[in-house]
Amino acid sequence: MRTYFSDLPKTALGASYWLFAVYLVLPLALMMAMSFKDANFIAFPIGNWTLDWYGKVLHDKQFLAASLYSIGIALATTICATIIGVWIALLVSAENIWGKSAIFALACLPAVVPGLINAISMRIFIRAVDIPTGTFAIILSHTVHAVPFVVIMVLTRLRSMPANLVDAARDLGADPFVAFLRVTIPYLMPALLGGMIFCVLTSIDDFVRTFFLGGYQPTLPMLIFAKVQGGMSPEINAMATIVLVVTTAVGLYAEYLTRRSRS
Amino acid sequence: MVDTTTQSRAVASLASPRYAGWIGRAVSSSLYRNTIGRLADNRWIRLAVLAGVPLIWLVMLHIGPIVQMTNISFIANYPPQPGKSSDYTLANYALFFSDRLYFMPFIRTLIFAAVVTVSTLVIVYPVAYYVAKVIQPKNRMRALLLLLIPFWAGELIRTFSIIMLLANRGAVNVLLRELGFIDRPIPMLYTFFSLSFGVVYLLALYMLLPLYSAIEKIPTPLIHAAADLGAGPFQRFRRVILPLSRDGIVSGCSLVYLTAVGVFAAPLLLGGPNAVIFPEVIAMLFHGSNDKWPEGAAFSMIMLVISLTTVGLFMRVVGGRSIRLM
Repeated sequence: MRTYFSDLPKTALGASYWLFAVYLVLPLALMMAMSFKDANFIAFPIGNWTLDWYGKVLHDKQFLAASLYSIGIALATTICATIIGVWIALLVSAENIWGKSAIFALACLPAVVPGLINAISMRIFIRAVDIPTGTFAIILSHTVHAVPFVVIMVLTRLRSMPANLVDAARDLGADPFVAFLRVTIPYLMPALLGGMIFCVLTSIDDFVRTFFLGGYQPTLPMLIFAKVQGGMSPEINAMATIVLVVTTAVGLYAEYLTRRSRS
Repeated sequence: MVDTTTQSRAVASLASPRYAGWIGRAVSSSLYRNTIGRLADNRWIRLAVLAGVPLIWLVMLHIGPIVQMTNISFIANYPPQPGKSSDYTLANYALFFSDRLYFMPFIRTLIFAAVVTVSTLVIVYPVAYYVAKVIQPKNRMRALLLLLIPFWAGELIRTFSIIMLLANRGAVNVLLRELGFIDRPIPMLYTFFSLSFGVVYLLALYMLLPLYSAIEKIPTPLIHAAADLGAGPFQRFRRVILPLSRDGIVSGCSLVYLTAVGVFAAPLLLGGPNAVIFPEVIAMLFHGSNDKWPEGAAFSMIMLVISLTTVGLFMRVVGGRSIRLM
């Protein structure tokens, strides 16, 4: 039998994959290892190991407040972005609407505008309409950022939905609203779950929008940024490790959920 | 006995109202029937409900900020005094072209974004090909997942982790010194190199996903046919695989380029005085007193228009149809 791929390219490709995997994981692994260092400064090699930094972080009122604040913003963003994203997706997928592609392009606009410009234009906008910087402005800008992704995820799922499902519900006496609640929403659920977790993670992760729109209360990324600027110690590593472990666990769980619902 | 109970229960559930559960109860109440139910029967009200909120949202928050930014960028006196109409001017744009301090970082940013895009493409392409075509299909998702995990850590945390690697007493320098290659650390952090290294690290995912899904769609028999007809590995790549993965290349490059132009956290943490790029210049105009806002808005407009035009031209030349992540 003839081999279509001679072994050399295959080995090289495999090597590139594993090198890339190491490249992605190594800095984070080093970052996590450094959080166990028993010294006040960040430097290799790590002579003595300790868990003290974790104790310090978990008793740090600032860290806990920032975490709660970030989670609150993320939840509010997720609720708003999901509702508006589904709404836009329904409009785009409706049959007899004029200018659908224009609406879709408009919905995707914030996803292609560079993040910095998104943040700055929003800063100018909220001043023009007299919204103060702070929690509400952050939620607004995070929602604008998340909506395109929800729209795309929901639309992808809607396209695979048999058109006659809703028709059947209507024939059986459901009005459009009931058909939406009892047929469309359950069908969209996997995409919605994936989209919601995506919203939570992007919101918790966001730096540039919060930087321009935030008030005095820091979110998690702002707190970490302030600490990095103020002089580095392994305390930051412990903080970042906690955040990293939690967000990765949430991400993996989302992956598991969408995979399970697909099969 | 058991059988009859289950049977009677099944009959009971059939006989119960068609809408079971709280939604059903709410829907069959007369309050609902007379309010939402009646409204939902009218086609025009339905259309208004369907279109109203999305259109208001899109116009207010997707166009509004850009329009307001454009508006501000032409204003001479900002913030406008009450009762005085604001004068429109092109001076804010002229300032950009008149001062090297503004102009050079912009050029540097465009070059930087291009370098990052090309490096990411070269690094990620073989990886995407390996996952999409070489790995057994049953292991494919697992192999992809391993690469996705690091991206769930946030932007800032990943940027910070680059410092661990490249600092003067970071892993690379310490390792090189232990091995006896160097006496004193190579200054890698706070340079153009560390910035590019970090941004490639941050954005590789935006290249990986579109490339993976494009390469995965190439029919494997096509590659085999090329091999049967005598094409070597290089020729197969150049004549078959590369043209067929064009959509992925265009999407990946556009996404990476557009994001790289506007990176903000990475230059603050990894860039140094010799690697000032345009986003920092713009941010400087917004932090501080308010009277610099028109200049900042004008600079942002220049950046937005030039970066979108570059991507548009790129798509026209290479021939991709649209930008998509997967």
